[in-house]
Amino acid sequence: MNTRALILLLIQISVSVFGKINQDSIDSNIVIAKVERKIDIATHLVKTSTLITLENKGSSGIRSFLFSLDPSLKDNLSFLSAVTKENKDDKLDVKETNVAGHGDKRFYRITLPTTLDAGKTVTVDVEAVYAHVLKPYPLEITQAKKQLVVLDTNLYFYSPYVTKSQTTVVTTTNSNIESYTKTKPVTQSDNVITYGPFEEKAPFSESQLRVHEENNSPFLTVTSMERVIEVSLWGNIAVEEHIDMKHTGARLKGPFSRFDYQRQQDGYASIKTFKTSLPASARDVYYRDEIGNISTSNMRELDESVDVELRPRFPLFGGWKTRYFLGYNVPSYEYLYYKGDHYALKLRFVDHIYDDMVIDEVQVKIILPEGSKNIELKVPFDVERRGDEIHYTYLDTLGRPVVVLNKHNLVEQHIQDFELHFTFQKHLLLQEPLLVVGVFYFLFLAVIIYVRLDFAITKDEAKESRMRVSSLIDEVQSAHDRRSALYQSYDDAINKFKSSKDVTAFSASRKKIDADYKQLTQQIQNLQTQLKAEGSEAAEKVAQLQRLDTLYKEQIGLAITAAEKLVSGKLNRQQYLDTQAATAAKCDDTYKEMESLRAAL
Amino acid sequence: MKKAQGTWGLQWLMRMSPEKQDTLLKMVILTVAAVLSFSTRLFSVLRFESVIHEFDPYFNYRTTRFLAEEGFYNFHNWFDDRAWYPLGRIIGGTIYPGLMVTSAAIYHAMNFFHLTIDVRNVCVFLAPLFSSFTTIVTFYFTKELKDASAGLLAASMLAIVPGYISRSVAGSYDNEGIAIFCMLLTYALWIKSVKTGSIFWGALCALAYFYMVSSWGGYVFLINLIPLHVLMLMITGRFSHRIYVAYSTVYCLGTILSMQISFVGFQPVQSSEHMAALGVFGLCQIHAFVDYLRSKMSKEQFNLLFKSLVLLVGSVVFAAAAIATALGKIAPWTGRFYSLLDPSYAKNNIPIIASVSEHQPTTWSSFYFDLQLLMFLFPVGLYYCFTKLTDANIFIIMYGVTSIYFAGVMVRLMLVLAPVMCVLGGIGMSAVLTTYMKNLDNPMRKEKKSVKKIESNYPLKNEIATCVVCLLTVFLLYYTYHCTWVTSEAYSSPSIVLSARGGDGSRIIFDDFREAYYWLRHNTPEDAKVMSWWDYGYQITAMANRTILVDNNTWNNTHISRVGQAMASSEEKAYEIMRELDVNYVLVIFGGLTGYSSDDINKFLWMVRIGGSTDRGSHIKEWDYYTPQGEFRVDKEGSPVLLNCLMYKMCYYRFGSVYTEGGKPTGYDRVRNTEIGNKDFELDVLEEAYTTEHWLVRIYKVKDLENRGI
Repeated sequence: MNTRALILLLIQISVSVFGKINQDSIDSNIVIAKVERKIDIATHLVKTSTLITLENKGSSGIRSFLFSLDPSLKDNLSFLSAVTKENKDDKLDVKETNVAGHGDKRFYRITLPTTLDAGKTVTVDVEAVYAHVLKPYPLEITQAKKQLVVLDTNLYFYSPYVTKSQTTVVTTTNSNIESYTKTKPVTQSDNVITYGPFEEKAPFSESQLRVHEENNSPFLTVTSMERVIEVSLWGNIAVEEHIDMKHTGARLKGPFSRFDYQRQQDGYASIKTFKTSLPASARDVYYRDEIGNISTSNMRELDESVDVELRPRFPLFGGWKTRYFLGYNVPSYEYLYYKGDHYALKLRFVDHIYDDMVIDEVQVKIILPEGSKNIELKVPFDVERRGDEIHYTYLDTLGRPVVVLNKHNLVEQHIQDFELHFTFQKHLLLQEPLLVVGVFYFLFLAVIIYVRLDFAITKDEAKESRMRVSSLIDEVQSAHDRRSALYQSYDDAINKFKSSKDVTAFSASRKKIDADYKQLTQQIQNLQTQLKAEGSEAAEKVAQLQRLDTLYKEQIGLAITAAEKLVSGKLNRQQYLDTQAATAAKCDDTYKEMESLRAAL
Repeated sequence: MKKAQGTWGLQWLMRMSPEKQDTLLKMVILTVAAVLSFSTRLFSVLRFESVIHEFDPYFNYRTTRFLAEEGFYNFHNWFDDRAWYPLGRIIGGTIYPGLMVTSAAIYHAMNFFHLTIDVRNVCVFLAPLFSSFTTIVTFYFTKELKDASAGLLAASMLAIVPGYISRSVAGSYDNEGIAIFCMLLTYALWIKSVKTGSIFWGALCALAYFYMVSSWGGYVFLINLIPLHVLMLMITGRFSHRIYVAYSTVYCLGTILSMQISFVGFQPVQSSEHMAALGVFGLCQIHAFVDYLRSKMSKEQFNLLFKSLVLLVGSVVFAAAAIATALGKIAPWTGRFYSLLDPSYAKNNIPIIASVSEHQPTTWSSFYFDLQLLMFLFPVGLYYCFTKLTDANIFIIMYGVTSIYFAGVMVRLMLVLAPVMCVLGGIGMSAVLTTYMKNLDNPMRKEKKSVKKIESNYPLKNEIATCVVCLLTVFLLYYTYHCTWVTSEAYSSPSIVLSARGGDGSRIIFDDFREAYYWLRHNTPEDAKVMSWWDYGYQITAMANRTILVDNNTWNNTHISRVGQAMASSEEKAYEIMRELDVNYVLVIFGGLTGYSSDDINKFLWMVRIGGSTDRGSHIKEWDYYTPQGEFRVDKEGSPVLLNCLMYKMCYYRFGSVYTEGGKPTGYDRVRNTEIGNKDFELDVLEEAYTTEHWLVRIYKVKDLENRGI
C-alpha cells in the first residue's frame, strides 16, 4: 500500500516536472494586429496559409508566441511550418506545447528569430496542411455522379490572443459551389470566396464556415506504406515501397458498369492512373503486387526525375482499395558518403507517390550492410524509432542491422532527407565472396578426397588389376619416351664426333648415354615382368617393343662403327653415306613401328 | 614443342586414359542435357514473368505457402473453409503432399543458408529442376537397360520432348512435375534390383515408390506395371530368386510405406486397382514354393501335387475375392479407372470426367506433335529389345506397350508415354548408329587389307553408312527444332495472362483474370462467397482469397451440379439456388468481346449436362438449350430457354449495345461469330459489380432480398 502510494507520488512529480518543461502560458501582452488567412480546398487537402502580424503591447521583449489549431482541424494536422515575412528561407522553430487550463486545445510554440521588443510588430507566415478534413457529401454517389465535398471549419482565426483585424479567403476547386456560409461581409467571384475583414475578435472566438463544393480531384490516400531501403556497399541502394491505397472520397453506390465507363467516359471521381516521380538515377523499376506484375505502366525518363505512370489493375472508385509494390535501384554514390570507415547515408525519408499525396502511416526500414556499427540517425522531423531488427538475406551470417522508423500523417512537405551515420570496416566487404570461394573449395576438396579414397568393403580384383596395369603402361610409355630421346642423343654424339674427330670425348659421351640407355631398358624389362604377372596382354606388346628396340640399337651400333671407320679413314665418304642411308632408313622404319606400338599399348 | 603448346587443352585430354575420357565425355553430355532441360522450360518466365500457370498449380501453390508458413502438422490437419462452401475441405487428407513437402523442404533449406528465395519462385522453378533430375535418371535407367550411349541419347531426347515439357514448364507447378521423376527413379531402381536381386536396391526402389505415391495418383500405373512385369517373367519362365527377392521387398515395403499417405490409406489392400499387385505377390510365393518342392520331389509326385494345389488355391482366392467384393471390402472400380479401360465409358456415364479437356482421347496428330521422331524410333527400339531379350528388356517392352495404350485413351497420360518413348527411341537410335558407325572408313586407322576383304561382299559399305548416319543426324536436328518450336509456341503461355498481336505487330497483354481476382481480393468483404464454374475455383481461392463454392478438385458431384443448375436456370430459379448456397458474388468468363474462345458460354453445355445429371436438377434438360434443329446458338434463332438463363444474361448484360467489330451490328459475339439474340434486358436479382477492361471476367453481386413492401 505504502509503496504504491510512493510510486504514484513519484509519477505525479515526474509528470509535473516533465509537464513544466513543455508548459506555456498565454502572454496577454501579445496582440494580433492583422491576420490574412487563405484556405485552399482545391485538392483533397486543406492547405492554410496564415499571415499573422504580431504586436508587442507589453514592456518586455517577446521571444515566442503560441499558435493554436482550429478545433475543426486539430486532429487532422499533417504539417506545420512558419517563416517570417522578411526572411522566407529560414524556418522558425515550431514545437508542440501545452497551456494550463486549455487541455482540450492543441498549441504550437513558434519561436521568433529575434526578440520582439516592446511596441514593435513582426509578420509571421504559418503554413499548415490538413488531411481528411473535406468530407464527401453525399457520402455515396453513383458512377456517373460528380463528387461533392464539404468543408466545415471556423470563420475566425482561432487564436489565444486578441485579433484586431482579420480576413479569410477560401479557394475552391472550381466555380461549382453548391453553397457557402454567407456571414457578411462576404464576396464570391469564380472560385474564390472572401470573408471579412472582421474587427476585434476575442481569443478563441468561433463561428461556422461551411463550403459545399464540387471537387473531383483524386481523393487518394495511402493508408499504410512500408519503405525498405537496402544499402549495399557494392554500389547499389535498392528501394522498395509497399503501398496500400484507398480512394477516400464519396463511396460508389450501386453497380459499376464497364460499358458506361468505357463509352461515356464518366466516373469523374474515379482514379484511373497517377504519376510517381522517382529519383533521376532510378533503374530497374518494377511495379508488382501479391499476384504478379501489373502490366499497365509507363515510364518516362526526365532530367530531374524518372516519372512512372502507374495504373492500378482496376480504376479506383470511392471506397475501393488496392495494394502494390514499387521498387527500383539507385547507385549508391549519389546518396552514400564516406570518409575512412565512416559512412553517411542521405536519402529521402519518403518519396513522391502522387501529387498532393497523403500518407496515413509509414514505416521506413533501412537495411545496412552486415557488420555496420555505431548507427546514428538524424531526421528533419519527429519520427518514432523502433528497436533495430536483424535481416538475413543472401550469404549473410550474422545478419544485417535494420533501422525501423515509423511516422503518421505525412504529406508532400515531408519529402525531406534524413541522414544515417554508421561505421563499417571495409575489409568485411570481402567476407561474402570469400565465403563462396571457401564453400566451393571445400566442395571440390571433398570430391577429390572421395574419388581418391576407396570406401568399398570388398575389393574388386579385376578392377584393381586393371588400374595397376594402366599405371604400369603409363610408366612403360614414359620410359620409352625417354629412351627415344636417347636415340637422338646418339645421333647428336655421332655427328659431333664426325666433325670434331675427338675419340675420347665421343667415347665418354657414348658411355654416358649407354649407361642411361641400359638403365631405361632394364626398367622397361622390369615393368614387362610386372605386366606379365598381372596377366595383361600388354606384356606381349612390351616384349615386342623391347625386340624392336634391340633392332634399333643394333642399327645405332652399325652407325657408330661406320662413323669410327670414317674418322679413322677406313671408309671413304661415299661408302659411309651409303651405309648411313641404309641404317637411317632401317632406323626410321623401326622407330615408326615402335611409336605405333607404344600408342597401341 | 610449339605445336604442343598451342593445343595444350587437347593434349591434356588425350593424355587421359580412355576410361577417364569416357567418363568426362559422359558427364559433359549429361550435364549439358540437364542444363538444357532446365533452360528450355523457361520460355514463359522470360516472355512473361515468374508466375504460376493454369488452374491446379494455383491450388498447389496456395497449399505450399500454407505448409511453408504453418508447418507440417498444421498442414496435415488443415480444414479449408475457403473452398466448397458450406462443406469445406480437409486438405491434409485429400491431397498427395509430395509436391508441397518437396518445395517446402527446398524453401526451408535455402532459407536456412540465407539464400532468401520466396515460395513462389521455388514453386515456379521446381518443375524445370525436377526435369533436370529426370534427365539424369533416364540416363541411368537406359544404361541399365542397354548401355551408356543409349542412355545418353535417351537423356538428351527426354530433355526436350514436348510430351513431358507440356506438364513441366516453369510455373506449371503440378504433381506431374515431380511424379515423372519419381516414376523413372522407381523404374530404374526396380530394374537394378531385378538385375542384382539385392534387398538393398529393392528397399531403395520401395522408397522411390513411396515418394511417387506421395506425389501423384498415377502411382496406380506403377503398382500395376511392376507386377505385370513379374507375371510376364513367370510366364516366360524367367522367374528366379533374384526376382523373388526384388518383388517381395518392393511390394511389402512399398505397400506399407504407401499406406502412410493419408489420402491413400487402406486402398492398397482394399481397392481393386491394387489387387493385381497383391495377387502377383501371392503367386510369387507359390511359384517359389513350387520351385522348392520340384527340386525335392520326383516328377510324378510333383505333377499330382501341383494340379491339386492349383485347383485349391485358385478356388480359395476366387471365393475370397467374391466375398470381399460382396461385403464391399474391395472398393468398386472408380470411374476414372473405367474410362482408362474403355474410352467411351466416361463420355456415356460421367459428364464431369468427360468435360475435362485433358481427359479426351488423344488424336494421332497430337502424338506426332508431342513426340515427333520418337514415334518412328519407338518400334525400332522395341525391335532391338526383342532381339536381345533380358529380364530388364521385358520390363521396358511392357511399359512401352501399356503406356501407349493409356496415352491413346487420355491426352493427359501422354506424360507417362513420353519417357518410355525417349528410352526406347534412345535404344533404337543408339543401336542403329552403333551398327553403321562401325562401317564408316576410319581415316585414323588405315588397315587396308581387312577393309578390302569385307568390301567384296558388301558394296559401297562406307557410302551407305555415311548416308544413314547423316540422315539420322538430320532427323535428330529436326527433332530438336520441332521440340523447341512446340515448347515456345504451344506450351509456354501461362494462360493466366493472355497475349495477342495487335494490328501494328505489337504485343497486347490481356491481364483481365488477375485484374478481376485482385479486385475481388481488395474490394469485397473478407467472408464473401463467390460462385463460379469449377474451373476458376483454385485461382479464386489463391489469388482473390475468397470463399468459393466449387473448385477443380471435383470431389462432390452434386455440389457442382447445383452450381450448374444455378447457371442454367432462369433468374428467379437461380436466385433461389443462390440464396440457398449463400452466394454473394457470381463470376463468369466471357470472351465475346475479345474472341477468347474457352469462355463460359462455350463450356455452358457441360454445366447443363452436369446440372441435369442429379435429381434436384431434373428440370434442366439438355434439349431445351438447343434449337429445334439441334444446334447450340446464341443468336435470334437460339432456344428461348438459353436466351433467358442466368449464364446468358450474365455474359451478355449490356453487351447488346457494344460495337465489337467494324461493319457488324452491336452485340456481335466474336467467339460465336453471331449477333446475340437477346440484347435488351435488365437484371433483377443481380447487379454488375465489376467487369474487367476487356470484358473477359464479369463479376455480379447478388442483391439482398427486397424490403417487404408496406
